[in-house]
Amino acid sequence: MTALATDTSRAAALLQFDRTTSRWGQITMASALIFSLVAPLYLVLFGDLGITSGQVWTAFFAVAAAFFVLWFVEPITYYPVLGPAAMYQAFMIGNIANKLLPSALVAQATIGAKAGTKRGEFAALMAICGAAMVHVFSMLLFVGVLGTWLVSVIPADVVDVARLYIFPSIIGAVLVQLIVTMKQPRVTVIAVVVAAVVLFVLVPAVPALAKPATGIVVLLTAALAWFLRPHKNAPAATTLVN
Amino acid sequence: MTTAATSGASTDILSIANMPVLWVLAVAVFGAIILQSVIYMRAARKAGPAADISQTELKQSFRAGAVAAIGPSLAVVLVSIALLTLFGTPAVLVRIGLVGSAATESASASLAATTMGATLGGPGYNQSVFAVAFMAMSMSGAMWMISTLILTPILRRGDSKLRKVNPALMAIVPAAALIGAFASLGIAELGKTPVHIITAIVSALAMGICLALAKKFAIAWLREWGLGISILVGLFVAFVAHTSGLAA
Repeated sequence: MTALATDTSRAAALLQFDRTTSRWGQITMASALIFSLVAPLYLVLFGDLGITSGQVWTAFFAVAAAFFVLWFVEPITYYPVLGPAAMYQAFMIGNIANKLLPSALVAQATIGAKAGTKRGEFAALMAICGAAMVHVFSMLLFVGVLGTWLVSVIPADVVDVARLYIFPSIIGAVLVQLIVTMKQPRVTVIAVVVAAVVLFVLVPAVPALAKPATGIVVLLTAALAWFLRPHKNAPAATTLVN
Repeated sequence: MTTAATSGASTDILSIANMPVLWVLAVAVFGAIILQSVIYMRAARKAGPAADISQTELKQSFRAGAVAAIGPSLAVVLVSIALLTLFGTPAVLVRIGLVGSAATESASASLAATTMGATLGGPGYNQSVFAVAFMAMSMSGAMWMISTLILTPILRRGDSKLRKVNPALMAIVPAAALIGAFASLGIAELGKTPVHIITAIVSALAMGICLALAKKFAIAWLREWGLGISILVGLFVAFVAHTSGLAA
């Protein structure tokens, strides 16, 4: 540490670190962004599947209606915990709440660094690098190689049934997990009632609303939850999905 | 490839979902992450002394993070394998393994399939529907990254205005949007075949039991593995119900 004893060289080193991580964080994230878009774009444009741009935009708007709030809220929510450098890692690696944050916390505890300090920030960054490496290699090996092989040897009728019912078997569990971790009974009741009314009363009456149904549920739930909020003790910040 | 494939009406999803080009692009995304980690680690090693953290502590942090990620990563692996038949390997690797999560990506795909008049994995789930769903979920995932790219420099400038929007608004609206989206998708399953209804309910119960046991006996890993376990239980019950003729 003697070489960096003065405050100016210390500040210069940290500034250099911030500059390197921001620049390369942005470059690597932008390239991942492009690669991840080119793949489906290739299928749409060159797959000879007869897909129109209208179909793509309609599908995108249906997804956007459900998730656009989260696009902005998640980065803002995670920023104070992650710090600028780790932001570019986290939103590229995904599974932030269930994997990256726990890893960062364990690392900070291991070396006794407090969150919010430079030591804490560096420990979190290294921990996320460690988590990223484990994750990248387990995905490539167990999903990329073994998983692909597994699907090729599983009997076709089992695969067909799995494909048919995979969504209900995910969504039931995800909904329960979300409700339990959120601990917002009032919002949950509002959401369930709104969803039931929209899907089983409104859509049968006005079939044209079938496509934007989830977007309608999201907007109505958000509006009702806001206007029916308790006016004492605001609830704690929310847990998120990614 | 059969001639039907040219129209996009073929339901042979995996023949287009596992195309070599898609594999190359998926591996490129992994490459970007590996490159980023290498650059970050070198930067941290260089600036370590200025941050009062020793080289040993940096190594310890890396190892601690890696070890802590093993369980959660394998849990994601299990969920990903279950989704392979739906999206093929490259899309699963990028969308579920990285960037997003099983919850958001399958929800996005389901919403997109609905706009094409199909259900995810259902009889109308053909190559065109898959491609549109893949495109829509990638665009939504891209929006998360774009807002990260835009917001991070703003937040870094110490602009706390964004975070002080209104704590009540930040607490209620995202939670409501999230629960609203998943409640809508979950309840929509109850309007499908009896097997869909049973599967969704069984999966919900399985998750409920996992979370209750995790809380009662303080088993942290059960919380991580809850989704994978619930999917397997749900699929098993679906298979039994389907083969016993309940689907008709």
